[in-house]
Amino acid sequence: MIACIVIPGFELRAALRERPRLQSEPAALAPEPGTEALLGPVTAAAEAAGIRPGMRLGEALATCPALQLVDPDPAAAEQAWEQIVRRLEDAGIAVDPAAPGCAYFETRGVERLYGGLEPTLRRGLKAVGPGWDARVGAARRRFTALAAANVARSGQVLIVSDEHTREFLSPLPLTLIPMEAGRREELQELGITKLGELAGLPGGAVAERLGPDGRRSWSLARGGSSRRVRGRKPAAELLETLEFPEAVGNELTLRRSLGVLLDRLLARPERGGRALRKLALAARLVGGGSWRRTVTLRDATAEPARLRAALGPKLLDLPAPVVALTLEVLILAESVGSQLELVQPEGAELRAHLSEGLRQVRAGTGSGSVCTVVEVAPWSRLPEQRALLVPRDD
Amino acid sequence: MVAPAGTASASGSARRLNQPHRALVEAHVDGSPRRVNRSPVALVREEWRVVDRWWTEQPISRRYFDVVLAGGEHAVVFHDEEVGRWYSQRGS
Repeated sequence: MIACIVIPGFELRAALRERPRLQSEPAALAPEPGTEALLGPVTAAAEAAGIRPGMRLGEALATCPALQLVDPDPAAAEQAWEQIVRRLEDAGIAVDPAAPGCAYFETRGVERLYGGLEPTLRRGLKAVGPGWDARVGAARRRFTALAAANVARSGQVLIVSDEHTREFLSPLPLTLIPMEAGRREELQELGITKLGELAGLPGGAVAERLGPDGRRSWSLARGGSSRRVRGRKPAAELLETLEFPEAVGNELTLRRSLGVLLDRLLARPERGGRALRKLALAARLVGGGSWRRTVTLRDATAEPARLRAALGPKLLDLPAPVVALTLEVLILAESVGSQLELVQPEGAELRAHLSEGLRQVRAGTGSGSVCTVVEVAPWSRLPEQRALLVPRDD
Repeated sequence: MVAPAGTASASGSARRLNQPHRALVEAHVDGSPRRVNRSPVALVREEWRVVDRWWTEQPISRRYFDVVLAGGEHAVVFHDEEVGRWYSQRGS
């Protein structure tokens, strides 16, 4: 069986963990800066006041003037999601995290461990933890499991057997299928609003009228593919953070800070000489909120210049000054992979001597005693604003 | 935001270079330093003012003195006019 755990409105729940008072009030996730002014997930109180996710901001505020907008906190959401996935993995479950708030897993490998299908699903719910209102669905097919999880109530386990799949999916709304808005409207104009109505159409006709997207939706409406779920590889735990004594907004400072973080990260012994495949750059913004971007490198590399070139432009997307910058390795390349150099680059030997000298100083004087000077505002009239001392414990 | 002069930062995270330190200064009537950390001032080489961030809740108003002490040492001190205290500072 394939199981699907769903936490509705996960981003909003993650953002509200810092402000639990708002959970019982009309609140909604504010749109991200620079995107269309549409609401994200909403609380139950907001839903009772007539607010729906995806509503226009102006319309929502006119409907419910007391509506509180919660700034998205993608870094906190990602962190909370990672903790949930790790708790599931600690329970022996190989998880395929599809998106924050939605994960799939195969129950077959752990059913004997927990004494059957239902106890396994209950164990999964328990691993998610309280306060998330998670629900779980299980079926032979991935999409049916997702549909079951979406239909289940908070804390409920819903199992759909293969022979009842069509019957179960038939009355469910078409909104469960991810598809282009235009396609959905086209189907609604044709009077098709339920999965069963779509599944009842001839596949060839759907493909001809709606193209590959329509054909895929039709296939999902009939239960989707029975492709196996493959658990993710455990994430690398390499992370470096730089906290600033005051908010930093200028690009020069941020690029220099990124350089320091890269140097620290590349010097971590846990890397074991392996190149970096996927990284995440996150920031805590002044006045609350966070920002996060992930970068997957076409060729895994450990060259600082190439990594700087790949990550540097992301800093231009920062919506506000930052109080802390974090660089995290999400995926490391499997092997060291790179060929040894015949001739070492100029200065490599000197750098090795310097690094060894600094290591000895650190060993004698303790952690935090060796620092790098990072110029942050060399033009400032206040001497203490011009540069920062950043500890180097690598 | 600028922290008041002399504020310490948490260890382990980045901290400011050339942070001001409290100094024991006796001043003349005109406000120029007479003794710095008990050493008499031999010469005031330069004097300047820094007024900044007056539009914030933490305005900065400093009167800097670049002095040579009787022992031949060189020092830069400033009078923080917002809090009425003297500080010494490097890198000025």
